[in-house]
Amino acid sequence: MDVIWGVSDNHVAWGQLIAIYLFLAGVAGGAFLTASLTELFSKKQQPKVIQSGAYIAVVSIIVGLGLLVLDLGRPLSFWKLLLNVNMGSVMSIGVFIVSGFTALSVVYAYLIWSAAAAQKKIQMTSANTVVAAPSFGQKVQAFRKPVAALGVLFSLATATYTGFLLSDVTTNNFWNTGLFGIDAIPFLPILFLVSASSAGLAATLIGAFRGTDLTTYKKIDMVLIIMEIVLIAILYLSVKPIFFSGSMGTLFWLGVVSVGLIVPLLLSIYGILKHKNVLLPVCGMVVLGGLSLRYFVVYTGQLFR
Amino acid sequence: MIIHLERCIGCQACTVACKFQNSVPDGQFRTKTPANGLKGTYPDVSLYFIKEACQMCKNAPCVSVCPTNASYYNEDGVVLVDVDKCVGCMYCLTACPYDARFINKETGAADKCTFCYESKVSKGEKPACVSTCVGGALMFGDLNDPLSKVAQYLAKHKAEVLKPEFGTHPTVQYIFEGVVK
Ligand code: SF4
Ligand code: SF4
Ligand code: SF4
Repeated sequence: MDVIWGVSDNHVAWGQLIAIYLFLAGVAGGAFLTASLTELFSKKQQPKVIQSGAYIAVVSIIVGLGLLVLDLGRPLSFWKLLLNVNMGSVMSIGVFIVSGFTALSVVYAYLIWSAAAAQKKIQMTSANTVVAAPSFGQKVQAFRKPVAALGVLFSLATATYTGFLLSDVTTNNFWNTGLFGIDAIPFLPILFLVSASSAGLAATLIGAFRGTDLTTYKKIDMVLIIMEIVLIAILYLSVKPIFFSGSMGTLFWLGVVSVGLIVPLLLSIYGILKHKNVLLPVCGMVVLGGLSLRYFVVYTGQLFR
Repeated sequence: MIIHLERCIGCQACTVACKFQNSVPDGQFRTKTPANGLKGTYPDVSLYFIKEACQMCKNAPCVSVCPTNASYYNEDGVVLVDVDKCVGCMYCLTACPYDARFINKETGAADKCTFCYESKVSKGEKPACVSTCVGGALMFGDLNDPLSKVAQYLAKHKAEVLKPEFGTHPTVQYIFEGVVK
């Protein structure tokens, strides 16, 4: 930084770690949503999907929180976020949403894991016709549905808050963009919720792709991709073109639009027409697209002010 | 604070005085006074310097976004940071439209101009940058008191605030009279 000539080094306050955190929190929310909605509403038994979603959710949110704490100027004082509350700050509200979500996803993953472990045990012991008395692990299974149901609310809140965190910065012209230019309806929470559901679902399917019928999920994924394309188009039309220039513009067209949306959509359609299994590449690209979107939004909002 | 740009000669005495007064770490600044471009062709060449620091907003986004209330208004309406409460989340850095804040390398907490509140103003003295100003471009006082020198000065000169479109209502007033914007 040159003090006299004011040549600024274009620093950004929030960098990669925050972008990755926002992405991971979204994936965690989307994965939990996939698992819990399957548990609550699916007529078919989908143990693989539920397991995959529950495990991805807990790992993503814990890694994400780790990055968030590392990014603090004073990482060791993170606990002060729990003691000093400012209800007017989205971050402060978010701390409580994410804490609740993390607790629920740990409990849920434990319940899923213990059920799966018990299942294995029964398979092993049934040959000897030994039926063990119901263990602690089996007794607590009664909590699975309530935890899943409460988790639905917290996953939605987590995915949406990542958008509000940015959109609530009213002095940031990009983050603060409203839907159709209406300031009262912030745009990012809607976009991030759809993107989180899509990326979380895709990540879950990657973890569950072997030997399960995933037709319904693939259809939902396509619907989410189309919704996101519509939202991205609205965003493109409602903000200044400068936000899509430079290296962030490249990331937008290549990462967010091409890899994240258009190619996976075309590939899914191709897969349906030709009866080919394209699940892995499609889901992989959707996840990458979600990451690109967070990078793009976090950086663009700060680079062009 | 009033900043009368025509009188500023860009000497950076304020920049240095602030570093002395507040032990600001190497490479970091609570205030600086960079040149605002060098515009035009002879004979119409213009250059002026514009002091940058916290604008002490009356509707400060840094205060409203802070999750720990570390950024706050003190009893005199000065925006300050409680280093002990601050976790260094940088939310306030993203919210301040004037780039006034930074993360202090030594404390890890958010830092910015304090109007030298503790060390000077609370003792009835002027902020370090004001008392050192070579060109007489900086004036400090209570704008709410119509009898104060600053209030009377503002009555005679047309002042502006920076980036009014964000609705932050800065209290730092800039007088552009005599400089070519
Ligand atoms: S100039 Fe920035 S740091 Fe100072 S009060 Fe306004 S928003 Fe806060
Ligand atoms: S960096 Fe400190 S002062 Fe700024 S918002 Fe975070 S906790 Fe508040
Ligand atoms: S008032 Fe004090 S802290 Fe603020 S810029 Fe001037 S010298 Fe620095």
